[in-house]
Amino acid sequence: MEKITLASQLLQYLITGLTVGSVYAMVAVGFNIIYNVTEIINFAQGEFVMLGGLIMVFMNVAMGLPLILAFLATIILVTLVGILMDRLAIRPIRRPSVLTLIIATIAVSILIKGTASFIWGKDPFDLPAFSGRNPITFLGAVVQPQYFWVIGFLIVTAVALSIFFDRTIIGKAMSACADNPNAASLVGINVKQMILLSFALSAAIGAVAGITVTPISLMEYDRGAMLAVKGFGAAILGGLGSFPGAILGGLIMGSIESFGAGLISSGYKDAFALIVLLVILFFKPSGLLGSIEISRIKRF
Amino acid sequence: MLKIDGINASYGSIRVLKKVSLKVPAGKVVSIIGANGAGKSTLLKSISGLMKNSTGRILYKDRNIVGIPANRIVGLGISQVPEGRQIFAHLTVRDNINLGAYHYFKRSNRLEIKERMRRVYQMFPILEKRSKQIAGTLSGGEQQMLAIGRALMGRPELLLLDEPSMGIAPLIVREIFNVIKQLNQSGTTVLLVEQNARAALKVAHHSYVLERGEIVLEGLAAELLDNPKVKEHYLGG
Repeated sequence: MEKITLASQLLQYLITGLTVGSVYAMVAVGFNIIYNVTEIINFAQGEFVMLGGLIMVFMNVAMGLPLILAFLATIILVTLVGILMDRLAIRPIRRPSVLTLIIATIAVSILIKGTASFIWGKDPFDLPAFSGRNPITFLGAVVQPQYFWVIGFLIVTAVALSIFFDRTIIGKAMSACADNPNAASLVGINVKQMILLSFALSAAIGAVAGITVTPISLMEYDRGAMLAVKGFGAAILGGLGSFPGAILGGLIMGSIESFGAGLISSGYKDAFALIVLLVILFFKPSGLLGSIEISRIKRF
Repeated sequence: MLKIDGINASYGSIRVLKKVSLKVPAGKVVSIIGANGAGKSTLLKSISGLMKNSTGRILYKDRNIVGIPANRIVGLGISQVPEGRQIFAHLTVRDNINLGAYHYFKRSNRLEIKERMRRVYQMFPILEKRSKQIAGTLSGGEQQMLAIGRALMGRPELLLLDEPSMGIAPLIVREIFNVIKQLNQSGTTVLLVEQNARAALKVAHHSYVLERGEIVLEGLAAELLDNPKVKEHYLGG
């Protein structure tokens, strides 16, 4: 048997951390999309991830659809859930304040979780890895092929989103809604449609995160809440509203968790990342990449 | 072009507009002057669709536009430059201007958008210099120019201006009013709301005086400039 050196051990922690962190980053990006358009923190973001995983299991394992078809069908279904969420829970609220809307998202998350436990029960489900489970050994660290899928999808999502928000008029219009919804409607932007789009987009990204992570960590009905907390932490850590910040924040959160669990104790896995988050908030409340100027204008 | 017929508006139980009627003929500059809280901005918001609970009739090209949402009214040819500028502070100057053309932003309209942008830059050369800057970092006067530029991108036939002189250095106020005059000469109809009555009356053909939600006086702008009551209340004696 090969000897495990400290270096390969650390590399192992880093790779695992970056993989888990990629999932947090995707959740954080989802938070940011909705936040940037509406200033709402969508606490049902984690449920999108959970639904992504479980629906994928249903499509791929139970229905036997090929991987790509199941993938697309899952994304479409979860996106639909995001759209329904906006239409049924967010838009009908009269005289909305940001706080009531945030509370509505908590209600939706409880509802989705309850429905999921009703449909799938409380057991975790497994999904076959996209390209098998033969681990690759790299400098003494063991890497599951699925890790590459997770990190790869994060990169694809990040690039696609930055093109969408920086280069397309719809992306700009979405940012304009967050900036000033009244002025946005004066130039002809349908603000409600943009909010709908933001929910659809972030549900889709949540689904991607859920689909890619399930072969690694399994998925069960109540995974959403913890993912939402971690993803929210990552978004705050990187600076709420900043996409590069979300990705950086997610990767840092994942790494801290992985190193903390490996070197100190895995029992406190969930605590490490949140402690670091608190420390950063004490010293730089606007987050790592958030601008202080912008955070002063915003309400949260 | 625009005919307002007995419009009422209220915030909760407070009535802000009481049966206001006025006319804006095509090709003219009409100004509404009045003190703070007289209902001037509410009137403009009723036209542009931002003020949702107004009743009465607002006829634009003989079509009642009350109840049409703001994001569709701009497509009819009415652009509003809102009070306090309300630019998209986190976006660049160029993005702000481009978003002005949002309602007809298509590849096939690319040339028109380019041409309109060129004209906006020609009118306000400082905006071209700052085109890559984040709009929130502009000075008040520059932001006002940007807000006007953005509205002009929306193909306006009727331009609604809400307090364009507010909080801006006198020299720049003059520049902005010159632009309003130019725009009008090139065919845009203008409805202007101002606290700065002197400037507003000088640029307008026709004027209305709004007090506590009611029109109390109207006439040719040149006549109102000489009206003793207007002089006393709005022109500082």
